[in-house]
Amino acid sequence: MRGCRSRLCLVFLVMVLGLGLGLGTLAFAAKEPIRIGLQAPITGQWAYEGEMALNCVQIVADEINAKGGVLGRPIEIVPGDDQCSPKQSALVAQRMLSEKVVAVIGTYGSSVNEPSATIYERAGLLNIAYGSTAEQLTAHGWKFFFRTCFRDDRQGAFFAQLVNDTLKLKRVAILHDNTTFAKGLAEAARRSLEQAKKAEIVFYDAVTPGERDFTPVLSRMQATKPEVVYYTGYYPEAGLIIRQMRDLGSKAVFVGGNAAINAEFMSIAGLEIAKGALMTQEPMPTDLRYAEAKPFLDEYIRRHKAPPSSPWPVYAADALKVIAAAIEATKSTDSKVLADYIRHKMKDLPGITGPISFDDAGDREGAIYLAYEVTADGKFKPYQP
Amino acid sequence: MFIEQLVNGLTVGAVYALVALGYTMVYGVMRLINFAHGDFFMLGSYLGFTLLVSTFVGSALPLWAALIVTVIVSAMGIAVLGVLVERAAYRPLRRSNRLTAVVSAMGVSIFLQNAAMLIWGPRYRAYPPWAVPDLRWEIGAVHIGFMQVLILVVSILLMAGLYLFVQRTTAGAAIRATAIDHDTARLMGIDVDQIIRLIFVIGPGLGAVAGVLLGLYYRQIHFTVGWSYGLKAFTAAILGGIGNIPGAMVGGLLLGILEMLGAGYISAAWKDVFVFLILILLLIFRPTGLLGERVAEKV
Amino acid sequence: MALLRLGPGPAPGRHRSVSGASGLGLVGRYSGWAVGAVAIAAMVFPMVASDYWIDVAVFWGIYVLLGLSLNIIVGEVGLFDMGHMAFFAIGSYTTAILSGHFGISLWLLLPLSGVVAGLAGYVLARPIIHLRGDYLLIVTIGLNEMIRISLLNNPWGLTGGPNGIIMLDQFRVFGLVIQKPMHFYYLVWACVAASMFALVRLQRSRIGRAWNCIREDEVAAEAMGIDVRSAKLLAFTLGAGLAGATGTIFAAKLVVISPESFTFMESVILFCIVVLGGMGSIPGVVLGSAAMLVLPEILRNFAQYRMLFFGAAMALMMIFRPQGLWPSKRWTTKLQEGESE
Repeated sequence: MRGCRSRLCLVFLVMVLGLGLGLGTLAFAAKEPIRIGLQAPITGQWAYEGEMALNCVQIVADEINAKGGVLGRPIEIVPGDDQCSPKQSALVAQRMLSEKVVAVIGTYGSSVNEPSATIYERAGLLNIAYGSTAEQLTAHGWKFFFRTCFRDDRQGAFFAQLVNDTLKLKRVAILHDNTTFAKGLAEAARRSLEQAKKAEIVFYDAVTPGERDFTPVLSRMQATKPEVVYYTGYYPEAGLIIRQMRDLGSKAVFVGGNAAINAEFMSIAGLEIAKGALMTQEPMPTDLRYAEAKPFLDEYIRRHKAPPSSPWPVYAADALKVIAAAIEATKSTDSKVLADYIRHKMKDLPGITGPISFDDAGDREGAIYLAYEVTADGKFKPYQP
Repeated sequence: MFIEQLVNGLTVGAVYALVALGYTMVYGVMRLINFAHGDFFMLGSYLGFTLLVSTFVGSALPLWAALIVTVIVSAMGIAVLGVLVERAAYRPLRRSNRLTAVVSAMGVSIFLQNAAMLIWGPRYRAYPPWAVPDLRWEIGAVHIGFMQVLILVVSILLMAGLYLFVQRTTAGAAIRATAIDHDTARLMGIDVDQIIRLIFVIGPGLGAVAGVLLGLYYRQIHFTVGWSYGLKAFTAAILGGIGNIPGAMVGGLLLGILEMLGAGYISAAWKDVFVFLILILLLIFRPTGLLGERVAEKV
Repeated sequence: MALLRLGPGPAPGRHRSVSGASGLGLVGRYSGWAVGAVAIAAMVFPMVASDYWIDVAVFWGIYVLLGLSLNIIVGEVGLFDMGHMAFFAIGSYTTAILSGHFGISLWLLLPLSGVVAGLAGYVLARPIIHLRGDYLLIVTIGLNEMIRISLLNNPWGLTGGPNGIIMLDQFRVFGLVIQKPMHFYYLVWACVAASMFALVRLQRSRIGRAWNCIREDEVAAEAMGIDVRSAKLLAFTLGAGLAGATGTIFAAKLVVISPESFTFMESVILFCIVVLGGMGSIPGVVLGSAAMLVLPEILRNFAQYRMLFFGAAMALMMIFRPQGLWPSKRWTTKLQEGESE
């Protein structure tokens, strides 16, 4: 009996192995495509971000392929799941190298990007992040790292400007959720406010993402009587925070960061409460007014029934556009040539998120931030005081 | 502010307690830490979500009936799932080393979590806003919401019911006997398999009710919620003395209050450190939890 | 006696004697040529495999080291430690902080991180070591969470909060910087071989037998004159120390050390490695970590279905091989006795 069982187990393992390898070889069947990696969280807590990024990139790839591909070769996307974990990220990076991809798009999380970008840098492989906004990433002097998203500090400065010049409020509370991104933004906002010396930061603390009840920390915040509350974390918590804040009787202006802006913010908070909340951010996919944006979004909605619910995946699509344009222009798939072209010669490439050019560090130039307001009918519209 | 924190703590604690009951009952009878229990809870809230937005329950019935149907059907659905999981993943291991079943439970948990992700998608889902009447009362400076009252009332009723069931009925006596010793229970003519099945109806069922209540309260659900709440509920079960039903209730409520006070008076960021510190200190001085030894009979 | 009654029927063979515990270990059981063949295959592997699979093997090796360290605590002594990542984290952060601030060589930090983590293990375990089974389990989970959250909150600006710390230094051997997958492969598996050798020796020593004796029957062990408390603390300290030293390699390999690497989930995975491999079995740890680490890599082609299959595979492996993939001889006898009940 025992022997029989262990044999069964062995058979099962061999089947799993065989199936895996079989599917793996299928992927090689296509004819000499240009392979481009997408490193994203495809399973795990941030799986929805990974899924949307994959959707976005696939749309651009299909569009390019429909026009005959790049240098006459089709583009093939090689997805790699990093689960938003540093260990997995290192493994995915190594796998991308083994898969002989021309360049990599990704990834989403800043601290997860660090190990993979290091590996790409050592191997000399072009990689373009789409959601990693932490400042430190471009401080290494890496030659092959770029990002199509904007750095945290620029948004922080924008918030300070909003509080000081537009809203003209004096007492500010800042809350983050201890993720790399939210904390980075909160720190940047704090620095900018302190430099301007116009408003006072009366409260600064962190909540735990995944929690549901923030009343204790909000009661404590309420005691410091803030006039404006800046929450730099993600929308699931943002929706709960504004609701629980109002339940406690707070009248402070609620400002969310660019991770809070999401259609589900309204359904979690309830429209009555969400109304009047402000958000600082790059324009949402649906608010992008660039020529490239409209057809892209229409296609996205046609395929997936709804527009992307967060701003990040669109940057992944733009990263692919950057790579494709660079390959087309240089007639090369060598990362060195491509990186050099992207850094020095690419000027205002028409992207979905606006014209794209990069500075010497690999950061995207310019920054488009807007303050959004939640309207009474549950839409985000650019804020006019 | 203190009273308000207390009320909030009790609400969260009641949810922890309902989930902790599932851990503690399975542990009491099988000496198994059922890591998949948090995922029963999570699936319960997803199932409730599907029912509420469906045309059949959500729009055809009046609100109160829709809510009752949702809670009952979710609890039944998850109870069936619980029995299936027990049959498939735990029963074959009942005579093995007890850590073996823990690993199996872990596998089941990963499986269920990813199944939920594939079925309902990786995004956050929001319960429909109309499902909860937005009633709030202000008593002095204290704000109390309708859902808070509902959660407290439902969970206290369920816990009292469960306690009476285990203490007063024949089936309850059989559960208690099985918890003490399987073989002796079998000698007394108790069908141990049947009892374990019953445990896997009650535990996941209660978890599913907690899941629906949580979804209604916070309106927002995600497939990873099972892990965070599961860990908290397991902590609550240990705090009260694992294997002990009143212990799980006390542990859950206490944990909820501790958390709220920690976040309210210390720092939200250090809250969990504070909670675990209290837990560890308590266990150093009372190595079997709050009610672990005082109550002789364990379930 | 009630203290020892961890389980009723389901815990089989509670009364098993330890007389059969003769020195059965890795080398004694398998003739030299088998070990030799494995060693040669391991040496040749990186010359034929792609960098990706070498890297998978590097992480596999790191998890073998961690599994071995936890095996001392869970497998040999039977203490339920489900927060082992805490010590791994302490080792990693010790390395990252000391290397960053004082530029100490990693070769020196390897033992030093081990000592720091071992000390932490000793200090933290001392007040809780008397807790029985599941209570110890939740306390270790608590320690894991406390340490992870503390790292996240960036105390005194030391840990860099959620961003973590970037490692600037690397291992160096006579001017050669260890940073290619192949270099790491040899470094890690050399450490694995050394640890396995030491642990097999330890398993057969007086201490090893005392540990096994405690695992089987604590009261009997005490009656036979074993200082149970010290023996348990020793196991905890050694296990924490080995995990801490592994942290140095991990830090060097990953380049950035951040709290995301040390979650409770990872601790559970370590725990599963030990049980899946076969409690107290050193070759079992190698197989167990292969199942927990290499299997998800093989399943990568299933994209979003991969963790679904992985979960099912975990449960199935336990159902079909409840005694573990490579059970230690001492366990097997016991389980079969249990089954014939």
